[in-house]
Amino acid sequence: MTEASLRDSFGELLIEHGKINERIVVLDADLSSSTRTYKFAREFPERFFNMGISEQNMAGVAMGLAISGKIPIISGFSIFTTGRAWEFIRMIAHDNLNVKIITTHGGFVGEDGSTHNALEDFSLMSVLPNMQVLVPSDVIELEKMFSFAIENNGPFYLRLPRGAFPILHDDGYKFNIGSPDVLKNGTDVCLIGVGYGSSLALNAAELIEKELKCSVKVINQSTIKPINETNLLNEIASVKGVIIIEEHQDYCGVGSIIAKIIVENILKPIKFVGVKNSFGQSGTRKENLNAHGLTVEGIVKLAKQLLS
Amino acid sequence: MIIDKLEEQELQIDILNLKKDILSMIYKAQSGHPGGSLSCVNLIYLLYKKIMRVDFNNPKWKDRDIFILSKGHAAPALYAVLAKIGFLKKEALSTLRKFNSPLQGHPVKNNDIGIEISTGSLGMGLSIGVGCALAAKLDKSSKKIYVLLGDGELNEGAIWEAAMAANHYKLDNLIAIIDRNGIQIDGSTEEIMSLEPLSDKWRAFGWKVFEVDGSNIQELLNEFEKAKKGIGKPKVIISYLIKGSDISFMEHTKKYHGRPPNKEEYELAIVELDKIEEKLSKGA
Repeated sequence: MTEASLRDSFGELLIEHGKINERIVVLDADLSSSTRTYKFAREFPERFFNMGISEQNMAGVAMGLAISGKIPIISGFSIFTTGRAWEFIRMIAHDNLNVKIITTHGGFVGEDGSTHNALEDFSLMSVLPNMQVLVPSDVIELEKMFSFAIENNGPFYLRLPRGAFPILHDDGYKFNIGSPDVLKNGTDVCLIGVGYGSSLALNAAELIEKELKCSVKVINQSTIKPINETNLLNEIASVKGVIIIEEHQDYCGVGSIIAKIIVENILKPIKFVGVKNSFGQSGTRKENLNAHGLTVEGIVKLAKQLLS
Repeated sequence: MIIDKLEEQELQIDILNLKKDILSMIYKAQSGHPGGSLSCVNLIYLLYKKIMRVDFNNPKWKDRDIFILSKGHAAPALYAVLAKIGFLKKEALSTLRKFNSPLQGHPVKNNDIGIEISTGSLGMGLSIGVGCALAAKLDKSSKKIYVLLGDGELNEGAIWEAAMAANHYKLDNLIAIIDRNGIQIDGSTEEIMSLEPLSDKWRAFGWKVFEVDGSNIQELLNEFEKAKKGIGKPKVIISYLIKGSDISFMEHTKKYHGRPPNKEEYELAIVELDKIEEKLSKGA
């Protein structure tokens, strides 16, 4: 599959939307070259504010801009933006302010190591009332989500990776907030991916079908909040079990959220692929993914357990 | 802005009555923060009455000046002033801190009654003010942004992040006012986390600093006017005030920071305020 960088695409989207929507203002915390917000800064210097290394102030300033009718987009590395400024973001959500938090370096960042990994951000953002949490699986989905977040009032969190993701969708893809995006139909097991988890799921499905002689459904659950529970439950109604795959802590992440939805309604075995009580370490992203079972083989292993 | 003696006296009497409203609200609710509400109610009232461009008939007026009560625990002071100015009905005051009341324990954003943003978690208001000031500059609006900070609140690091940013972006439409009453929950500000030399700190951060005896109405109005006009820099007015101001047993003590008066204390406080009013009227 062809891969494309989501942060590069984010930089272009900022310019594209900045041209047609003058209310958009962009803030960064001294990471504009990494997050690609520098592109917007170059194009619209008067609507770009570098806040220096101060994520809390950046979130607070966004609150003031939002109540003044602007559409502030705040950016930075995922963990610093959501973590350091969490309580400011809580107040953004509290007042349902029109602030868009769009960060890069979600999940494993690679060589920078454990201090810079964002493996807790889904929990931090999903727990907030009013907050809408979207995780694009590829650049095409990012494009649709970005438009949706700009066109709809209220706070959004969009988590992008540092690197590139395989392209899973074609241009005709319609983003339907909350709803499961079925990447592949199947009847025995359902793999539910988020972000990079979705392409992993798609690859694993092929192998599972071959090795276990069964039929696998793959869902890209790119909206973590709000989830259209009815649609999700319908999609998994007939499968024997579900595996949820996320590049995030497996405690209090998407797995926990989806498991809650499932067990409140039906009994179904669920397996979780995610980071188990670890902050990760330096090395390549791939090495970190391997170490935590975020691999095709890791998913196949769980599928075997599920179907045995 | 020069006001005559008669007007000054009227304003003083209004402020005494606002203090009665604050005490009565907190007494009825049997919870709330009298100390820091009594200290700064005069600032809030003078801003709304004499300084800010606002219209209670049109609370969402696009070009209105913005007031942010960063020290959100002084909510009763804000509510009392909003009622006095006309943003909300006076009867509403008795619902303070009650279930389903718009007058929550700390301010909750409600543009219909002039509450611009929710505050109460300390240290956020100045950043919000910076955002409003940047937006006003982008819109080429002449509106001014006023942020009322508690002195204890200045312990928060985010205040200084915002102070740096306001200077960096030369936000001369931003005016911070500090209620320098010297007392925070656990004790005096200098004992808990020393702030002094406070004016030097703000100057070092690039702000134009004004210092004023916050009990002197004429002096306060003069400083507000000066702060409004200054260009090129953000401005801060350090206003020396008294925690629990005008109630003898509440003054200069941490005891009534977050504790309501009991029946005896409430009645005594009202008698004390009545006496001051009587003295003021006789002096006229």
